[in-house]
Amino acid sequence: MTAAAIRTWDLCRSYGTYQALTKLSLEVPRGEVFGLLGHNGAGKTTTVNLLTTLLEPTSGRAEIGGRNTVNDAASVRRSIGYLPENVQFYDSLTLMENLRFFGRLSGIRKPDARIADVLRFLDFTGHENQRLGTFSKGMRQRVGIAQAILHDPSVLFLDEPTSGLDPEGVRILRETIVRLNQEYGMTVFMNTHLLTEVTKTCTSIGILNHGHLVHHDTLVNTLASFPEEESLEAIYFQLDPAVAP
Amino acid sequence: MIDLITVAGKELLDLRRDRLFALLISFLTAVTLISVTVGAADFRNQLDAYNLYVANLTTSGSGVVPAAPHLFPLQLLRSGIEYLEILGALFAIVLGYGAIAKEKHRGMLQLFLTRPVNRFAFALGKVAGLSMIWWVVVVLLMGVSTISVVTIGGGAVTGTDLGRLGFVTVFIWMYLVFWSAVAVALTSLSASHSTALIVALVIWLGFVLVIPQIGDTMDPDNQVPGGLFAALNIQKPDEMAVLAHFSKFDSIRNVLEVSSVTKHFERLSFALLGIKDQYNQQPIPVVLTAMLPYAITLTAATVVAVVFAGAASTRRTLQRKQS
Amino acid sequence: MSVFITSAHHETLSVCRARIAHLLLFVFIGMVSLSSIIGWVTNITVTGVYEKILANGLTVAPNPFSAVPELYYARNAVIYVVLIGTLMAIVLGVQATLRDRKSATAGLILSRPVAVSARVGGQLAGLGVVIFAVLAISMAISWAGISIITGAPLGSDSTFRLLGFAGCAWMLLMVFAIIGMIAGITSKRETTALLVPFALWSGLAFVIPQLGTAARPVALLNPVPMPEQTGGYFDVLSAITGPLSITEHFKRAGSILLRDSNVSGSAGSSVAILLGFLVIAVVVVVLVPRQKLRQTLND
Repeated sequence: MTAAAIRTWDLCRSYGTYQALTKLSLEVPRGEVFGLLGHNGAGKTTTVNLLTTLLEPTSGRAEIGGRNTVNDAASVRRSIGYLPENVQFYDSLTLMENLRFFGRLSGIRKPDARIADVLRFLDFTGHENQRLGTFSKGMRQRVGIAQAILHDPSVLFLDEPTSGLDPEGVRILRETIVRLNQEYGMTVFMNTHLLTEVTKTCTSIGILNHGHLVHHDTLVNTLASFPEEESLEAIYFQLDPAVAP
Repeated sequence: MIDLITVAGKELLDLRRDRLFALLISFLTAVTLISVTVGAADFRNQLDAYNLYVANLTTSGSGVVPAAPHLFPLQLLRSGIEYLEILGALFAIVLGYGAIAKEKHRGMLQLFLTRPVNRFAFALGKVAGLSMIWWVVVVLLMGVSTISVVTIGGGAVTGTDLGRLGFVTVFIWMYLVFWSAVAVALTSLSASHSTALIVALVIWLGFVLVIPQIGDTMDPDNQVPGGLFAALNIQKPDEMAVLAHFSKFDSIRNVLEVSSVTKHFERLSFALLGIKDQYNQQPIPVVLTAMLPYAITLTAATVVAVVFAGAASTRRTLQRKQS
Repeated sequence: MSVFITSAHHETLSVCRARIAHLLLFVFIGMVSLSSIIGWVTNITVTGVYEKILANGLTVAPNPFSAVPELYYARNAVIYVVLIGTLMAIVLGVQATLRDRKSATAGLILSRPVAVSARVGGQLAGLGVVIFAVLAISMAISWAGISIITGAPLGSDSTFRLLGFAGCAWMLLMVFAIIGMIAGITSKRETTALLVPFALWSGLAFVIPQLGTAARPVALLNPVPMPEQTGGYFDVLSAITGPLSITEHFKRAGSILLRDSNVSGSAGSSVAILLGFLVIAVVVVVLVPRQKLRQTLND
């Protein structure tokens, strides 16, 4: 049996006396685009940090592709790509220099050919020798995606990837995520606030409320479960009372 | 004017709860106390050495007893003044930088600039707030220093000494306000916070440490241990006559030294505290008259720095973004 | 390419691109080079003063300045390393570790298969290369400057002594670069990250030596180390503070290597203390906990 792309068992994380995440049990099959929704402070970023090995759980466990995030962290790191929220990268370095750095850190010995492939895939060529200090927010986000997929990870984690992007930037990002998923079979796990993007991009969703997973299902099933609601937004407000208007 | 007072008042409130500020002031107080303690211990060592020397003389039957070393209590503050010269200026820069940088970072600046306030209210309010803080800190520091001179150093402080300390307090305050105002101006002008701080630190390094050090290095009399003229047994009038032939070199050296505001502050403070021998135990008016040029230049430098802070902090410079 | 080499390469590239680093490097190289010229101008003037005294018949003593060794002209470099070099090293160290926290790339890097010791060690190695290059340029300029002043190329002994001095300077600067790196990792604010190492520097360069020598702060700006005080409480304190006065040890080793007649003895113990400090600092920085590297920065 093939292991799930992401799986957690009673995953908990607290900061001092504050419980950020409580007994999260979740399974994301391979090839899914999973959207994690929730109000501010619901525990979304904590979940991504736990799954990307940046944090260790207080209790419970998590696996990426069958590998434990604590005991086998190095192996997990080799198999994931990650784009944090609001990452700036190195302004004084060129696009190539930035990508070479992250490519090598990901274990690619000679990353130039791979970088060229990725930039072509992202339709982002022609900026290779430009310093990032001159890049717009949308361009930086594409740099972020490029570094995250350089080493061909099996799971891609995106933390609020549309934050601060204009509509055109959001469209490009959405298309990129869908292509990565459909053309390369990459599993995508993303935190987001934009419900319209979830509808257009995700195949399954989870909703966190004060650290508790209150809903987890495919998007199709979720929409079908609430035939009386007009949109995902209306369903979300029903499922997450913390943000209900 | 009300805008300015409001900004100054807010700065006072901010610093009251700032742990970094508390850390800096505690550090300054600690080094002042250490320097008085070390100075007092050093004096006691000299006294012990003298007593031993006199005892040896008496044993050997000699009747000639040299004069005992005399403690001038205010001279124990020399290292403390030097710390204020070096570290006080550094901390003043950090506070001046922090006053502007925090507003830029938090995005409060844009909020402030959309209010109907005077063009100079922001920068001058900040400088006014810092000046008040420095006044309180310097008065407390001098109070602690005076008490430590009496208790740790074992010296008696007279009414005249308190008068000298009063003048020194004012000059220290001006010196620290100068550096804070320079930092306020540079931070307002610079798009990058860290660049502003580092440029201010380079200026501090140059004017506080390097220029006076070069001046000392270029002094011909400092080239030989004990002094060149002393080594050659040359009397003062002959020394002056010889040096008259090298006036160009000496004037370059002097220009270097006096280009540093730190030297002006040092000469003023050392004269008033009697650290400079020729002014030791001289009446205050005599010292002040002799030191008037330095008092004027220090005051002028402080005023210029404050004006610079006000002029540099325009809406355009304050909102400049790093490219 | 390993994480260590990648990090080292990235660090040197970042420093080479940072304008503020250029400013500091320029000031340092400029001052170290200038120190030779200042020494030369002063030497000419002092010799002129002596000849005038001699011509006026005021002395028959030999010129106390005539027998100065050729490396005398580089003696001020000792103090510029302590003043400007350490400032530069601290800023470079702080920027190295703060950069990833400011640009939020720390989380990204730690999500890669990267060992903290390799990452931090690589950054440190990158800084080591930059500091080595700066010292190499400064020493080459000093070497050429002194050769021009004395009218002959420096001999092998003096050249090796200059290289030894650069080695000591490298160790001292690396210690302060590491102090900067640690402050960049642990501080919650950028201001604190820059200020705390400066406070530490002032403690090591002024307060600790003062406790053991009773030397005033300004006197400690002299390139020659202050002799330890004896008698009273100084006997105990100088024994404690002596090994900790790292800048004074550097001055001592530097002065001996540059043949300053005011300092005698062997530089061995001072070099050993510098090396000891460096080893301890390296161990501390490479053992920093993984979570520390991605702490959020408040401003």
